[in-house]
Amino acid sequence: MTQYAMVIDLQKCVGCGACALACKAGNNTAGRNAGQTHNWADFQLETSGKFPKPKFTARPVLCNHCSNAACVEACPVTPKAMFKTADGITMHNDERCIGCRACQEACPYSKMEVKGNEYSVISYNEDGKPYDPFYADKTEMIKGCTTSGADMAKSNDNPPHRTQYEHPDYQDVRRNNITEKCIFCEHLVKNGELPNCVVACPAKARTFGDISNPGSEVAQLVKKYKGTVLKPEAGTKPNVYYIREYARK
Amino acid sequence: MKIKRRDFLKLSAATGAAVALTQGGSLNAFAQAKRGAIGGEKAGKWTPSTCQGCTAWCPVEFFVQDGRATKVRGNQFSKANNGYCCPRGHLMLQQTYDPDRVLTPMKRTNPAKGRGIDPKFVPITWDEALDTIADKMMELRKAGEPEKLLYMRGRYSPTSQALLYGTMPKIFGTPNAMSHSAICAEAEKMGPGYTQGYFGYRDYDMAKTKCLVVWGCDPLSSNRQVPNTINKFGDIFDRGAVIAVDPRLSASAAKANEWLPIKPGTDGALVAAIAHVLLTEGMWSKEFVGDFKDGKNLFKTGATIDEAAFAEKETHGIIKWWNLELKDKTPAWAAKVTLIPEKQIVSVARTMGKAGSACAVYMGPGVAMTPRGTYASMAVYALNGILGSIETEGGVMQGSSAPTDKFPSIDKYIDDLAKKSGKTKKIDGRGAKDMPAIMGGMNKKKDKDGKETVSAKANVVTNNVANGILKDPGAIKVFISTWSNFAFSCTGAQRWEKALPMIPFFAHLVTNASEMSQFADIVLPATFAPTEKLSIITNMANLHGHMSIQQPVVKPLGQAKPEETEVMWLLAEKLKAKGFANLFDYYASLEDPETKKKPSNAAEFIEIAAKISSHKVWDGKDKMKGDQISGWENFKARGIYNTETYAYKKNWGKFKTETKKFEFYSETLKKTLGLFAEKHKTTVDDVLKSSGYEAQGELAFVPHYESPKRHGDEKEYPFTFIDHKSRLNREGRSQNTVWYHEFKKVDVGDDSWDDVVKINPVDGKELGIKTGDKVMLTSTTGSITCTAKLWEGVRPGTIAKCYGQGHWAYGRVAAKDYAKAIANGGNNNELMPDDYDRLSGATARNGGFTGVKIKKA
Repeated sequence: MTQYAMVIDLQKCVGCGACALACKAGNNTAGRNAGQTHNWADFQLETSGKFPKPKFTARPVLCNHCSNAACVEACPVTPKAMFKTADGITMHNDERCIGCRACQEACPYSKMEVKGNEYSVISYNEDGKPYDPFYADKTEMIKGCTTSGADMAKSNDNPPHRTQYEHPDYQDVRRNNITEKCIFCEHLVKNGELPNCVVACPAKARTFGDISNPGSEVAQLVKKYKGTVLKPEAGTKPNVYYIREYARK
Repeated sequence: MKIKRRDFLKLSAATGAAVALTQGGSLNAFAQAKRGAIGGEKAGKWTPSTCQGCTAWCPVEFFVQDGRATKVRGNQFSKANNGYCCPRGHLMLQQTYDPDRVLTPMKRTNPAKGRGIDPKFVPITWDEALDTIADKMMELRKAGEPEKLLYMRGRYSPTSQALLYGTMPKIFGTPNAMSHSAICAEAEKMGPGYTQGYFGYRDYDMAKTKCLVVWGCDPLSSNRQVPNTINKFGDIFDRGAVIAVDPRLSASAAKANEWLPIKPGTDGALVAAIAHVLLTEGMWSKEFVGDFKDGKNLFKTGATIDEAAFAEKETHGIIKWWNLELKDKTPAWAAKVTLIPEKQIVSVARTMGKAGSACAVYMGPGVAMTPRGTYASMAVYALNGILGSIETEGGVMQGSSAPTDKFPSIDKYIDDLAKKSGKTKKIDGRGAKDMPAIMGGMNKKKDKDGKETVSAKANVVTNNVANGILKDPGAIKVFISTWSNFAFSCTGAQRWEKALPMIPFFAHLVTNASEMSQFADIVLPATFAPTEKLSIITNMANLHGHMSIQQPVVKPLGQAKPEETEVMWLLAEKLKAKGFANLFDYYASLEDPETKKKPSNAAEFIEIAAKISSHKVWDGKDKMKGDQISGWENFKARGIYNTETYAYKKNWGKFKTETKKFEFYSETLKKTLGLFAEKHKTTVDDVLKSSGYEAQGELAFVPHYESPKRHGDEKEYPFTFIDHKSRLNREGRSQNTVWYHEFKKVDVGDDSWDDVVKINPVDGKELGIKTGDKVMLTSTTGSITCTAKLWEGVRPGTIAKCYGQGHWAYGRVAAKDYAKAIANGGNNNELMPDDYDRLSGATARNGGFTGVKIKKA
């Protein structure tokens, strides 16, 4: 059975941010507000050691699409709003989601509230709040000479650069009082394309494919470089793998 | 929210599903196994344009749905970026749809000017705005003083800029057309210029290099070919090594095999020691440099060598360089100066020597944009000469260029008044004895009898314009500037805030009401070039030159217009109506290269200008060695022409130096400085002394170490300041996007939604400062406030801060409070004084020239 997976080559990755930004553009995720980043793709950054030999690592992070997904288990809705597709994608159905945030609390890679440089795989769209307060703001900076976020959205779309797409489970711009996260861009994958973050990576650090097929590139890379996953001890069996080292020192 | 969740959990899951239903779900939501069809992205079109968020000028494509730009990628045909854009490319979406962009021409109604004084801008029509500007210009012509018009360009298009920068001031009659280029990286060109005769930015064979030495720059973040560097960087480790020379742990240094955290401004000393090792250990390129006649290596520490003992091949002056500079400069000596351990210097030199001509030394502004940067630039670049990695597989190339066509001559449109006033002294002080600004070498002109006259070139000194205005307040009466923000982007930024109110009339053509716009009498909304402007852009990377189209992929926002074409056409019409027709007559004389039709309106003018610049690559008349393009429409649809691949060694034996060789002893600099000194009726030594250099005599003609200059004594200002660039900076323009702040953390050591100064924890402890504390940094010129971040990526005694934040205008994301002119973080340019590498005229911003003290705010 298909199990989609992603392999991130840390030697190729330079931590530039292009993947995370392309994800925001391609999936119309809101700007940070109310302690939620809405970043389906993000980074974990770490500096260790001491001058003059510090060690820095940038690790791109996204939903791990775990085979043993804690978020799916925690979802109390029947049928589940967070569920596994036949291809092993941890999918979220916007309609069934009731915004209880049990998935967010259960996910070992998520936080209920994010501060500073932290990341969270799952974000929550606040109940009763606009999709992105930035595009709900009605004030102008220079009266009569500049516009407001709300008018910019009104005369274009919300967000103005909205990438319109259709998918039976999730909307291209999601309503309030639901959680949201990376869905491996299934709307692209099922149409023969690759996820936005993979396409955007200038370093070609990301490889996407079916890890259940031993001949696939992802399976080969994981085997060759002994791929690792985040928090293996959590027992979630992630399907996002990391290979090689970010820093040479 | 937790309470709410628990409230919910009291309900059964089934009730929960019912809740979902009442919230607008459909019955379909209950069908667990049956999922609907996956529709995918709504139809759209990838439309080519060009980024210009940094100097890479990347050919890109925008995904357009319903007339809106929704996604960005590199142009799929581009060889320079391999079809990818870097992170800053994506920020163009938020810049295009920035609610704070200026939508309409506006004029100031409060005559008082200064930071924090509300200009009280009100909207006006384009007609009124251009009428006012034309009236102000005509007053100068009528008074016989057109030289009192100042035009300054910021970011520009390399082709249509000719219609504004290269045309309007000359026809109007002012010598004061000033480019931003000298605040960028002009001093970087001095190294390749005075050694190899190439005053330009270099290219690198990164796909083949076996050792990449990134020196004073962070090519993964900035410096002219970011997507290409990102694309190839990780694979270099499989072939060899990356070495980073940088006082802070940059993105490149973080990944490199070796990081050399050099004491700022001592690059010349490190070069001398590396060169010393390469020569004494016999690791120079025999093919490029040559060898001792009897084959025995006479490079022995301390030994003077007879020049006749060595037979050079493609180079000139290796022995002179050794004798004058290198013979005593051992790694042990350099370790004391640079603070890089002797062992590490030797091992790095050997790694470089081993890679030989496949070792590329990628020199950047950190080396050159310092008060004595010319010599450091020459020194770092000259390592490529020793290694013989000039135009070799895995080495360093000169630029590649696509064949643009120039616009017709403007000579006959320059009237007598313009001829006379155009020769008056420029406001930027270039060419003074203490500001040689000889970037570019020599001008050689032949008169009609074939007699050649040679003189030293004088390059722009952008940042000195403010000083010129302050010194002579009457010199400039009308100021027009495009896509610029000198009150923010120039060091000693406070001087611009003093100088700008002295100019009676200032018109600013920009996308956002920037810091500089706060001093404007009229602000005109410029198009956001990558998504709204038609122009032709040229650049190179990855061994290919290219020409790419920049075109409106969406409708310009509000009443925005392209500043270099349409606005100039409309202004020329106004000037014509007021009695000065020359500018209009010139514009109207341009011909469509296909149809020979002349423009009858602005829209036609815009397209004809783009076609003139680009026609060689698509009109089929010239045989192109690169891509084959079938016509203008094909070019617009494809968006790019790539040249043929760079041929290795193509300039060997014909470098544009005085000797045609790679000059370790620069006869070219010697001659240029000689001509310059002669003009001032003085000696080269006097010129160098007046301009603040240490070298005298013969040393002035070889790459050498000059000690760092520092503003602020170490007792009062104990910390040495390091300025660096963000991989999200679109020059100074992306800080009004939310995405910039959300991902600021991708700048190594920086924090999202903050503006931090990076301090070594040892210093933090001594100062009683911890991460997150607000601190005030003070230099001899000013103070800024930001957040402290204790970090191991800087040496104790140095502090590093990224340029870009500290906006007190521009927009409501960029500034903390636009209405009250309160800055968000601190602008490094208020901390760094205005100083120059006077031989090039370039502004100093590196090399540890600013001393700083830190206290808790």
